[in-house]
Amino acid sequence: MRNTHTRHFLFALLISAILFTPAHAQKLNGHSTAPLNLTLPMKDGSTRFAVIGDTGSGTAQQREVGDMMIKYHALFPFEFVLMMGDNLYGGEAPQDFEKKFAEPYRALLNDKVKFYATLGNHDQALQVNYENFNMNGKEYYRFTKGNIAFYSLNSNYMDKKQVKWLEDELGRETAPWKVMFFHHPPYSSAKAHGSDGQLREVVEPIFLKYGVDVVLSGHDHVYERMKPQKGIYYFVSGAGGKLRTGDIDRQSGLTEKSYDRDLHFMLFEVAGDQMYFQAISRTGETIDSGVINRK
Amino acid sequence: MKSKRYIFIWLLVVLLILASGVAVAQNTDKAAIDVFEKQVKSYIELRNKVRENAPKLSKDSTPEQIHAYRTRLENSLRSARPNAKRGEFFQPATADFIRRTLKTEFQGKDRQELREKIFETETQGVVLRVNYPYAQTAEFSEMPATLLTKLPQLPNELRYRFVGRNMLLVDRESDVIIDFMPDALP
Repeated sequence: MRNTHTRHFLFALLISAILFTPAHAQKLNGHSTAPLNLTLPMKDGSTRFAVIGDTGSGTAQQREVGDMMIKYHALFPFEFVLMMGDNLYGGEAPQDFEKKFAEPYRALLNDKVKFYATLGNHDQALQVNYENFNMNGKEYYRFTKGNIAFYSLNSNYMDKKQVKWLEDELGRETAPWKVMFFHHPPYSSAKAHGSDGQLREVVEPIFLKYGVDVVLSGHDHVYERMKPQKGIYYFVSGAGGKLRTGDIDRQSGLTEKSYDRDLHFMLFEVAGDQMYFQAISRTGETIDSGVINRK
Repeated sequence: MKSKRYIFIWLLVVLLILASGVAVAQNTDKAAIDVFEKQVKSYIELRNKVRENAPKLSKDSTPEQIHAYRTRLENSLRSARPNAKRGEFFQPATADFIRRTLKTEFQGKDRQELREKIFETETQGVVLRVNYPYAQTAEFSEMPATLLTKLPQLPNELRYRFVGRNMLLVDRESDVIIDFMPDALP
């Protein structure tokens, strides 16, 4: 009898030890979520959208970010989502589109939320024809929502033709807000890839000439908001499906705010000359928020 | 006075020789680019014919339609060029021009940055073989924007790519390797 009690006690002790080892505790914490906390003003008639990057891993973490987006969508009904590229890692068979894109965001797709994609270095060219990426068969394209013109560029292949297209389009742009999104970041403090100097050399003068306000990109699997660079606001949002923990170089001098401890997504609201933003972790924690006033 | 005149004439001759050398090099480069562009043009004509037999792809296709289109295009392109071989597009003069362009473009700090960018690209599984597809699971190296402004412009159907130090010419939609140039990067 005493032996049975001892065995039960030891078994309970063993289970407790397993459950409360740091690794397991972290996993448990990973599943716990913070209470939803929307910092955006929800103004009448505003344009609302979300941003995700480097999503297409098909992992549980990607699905958890998707679940958190769905929760926030109930609170903040964003109309569309910008995707920063690397939409599908690895193969691109029909089942990959399902597992790495449609499944994690099913509820949003069912709610008629539109996704606008850009191509990353892991994405094959024919993604531009995929019905749910709304790229209209083009590697670079423009669309407007409210008072914002969005430009999706193909930073994998910034050739003369694309540069000319960008200059022509920006030259006749009338929308007050000009937002660029593409995969490779012109500025980044991440150690894995970092700032793309060659891309910046070509696109930055155009952005400055035509008064681009905001540039969104991915590639580095972290969150980072730069200090404004020559008056332009740069964000890296590349941890929607993959994470590089501890990758930010905090000595870069570029960072206004960064986060490399968990995956994340972003929410934006544009009302008149104000653009409000909020970056949210996989577990629902607000990791950054603020407002950009248009020049 | 006489010697000054000789020096002047001598300098003039040297300048003329140098200028004609530059002009000859420019003409050689132009000829090489013309040959390359002609090859590209005939490939596009062939490709357009091949594409007529592939299922049509709309701007809002399903993954199944994309998969079917890509597979059919890849197979048709490979069958249409059964004797394709390395060096058909990157002929010696063209290859020489591209190598010089790469060398000039990437020096010093830029060269280091470029090499890091190219070599960090995960291209495992890519078999460098003309008329074979670039491995679907492999990453694409970003083509440096500053370089693309210096290379001959390709039509939308084709792309330059790097795998290690090698430069590839790839069909954009099917990812079939059309040609490649070993040790292109300095």
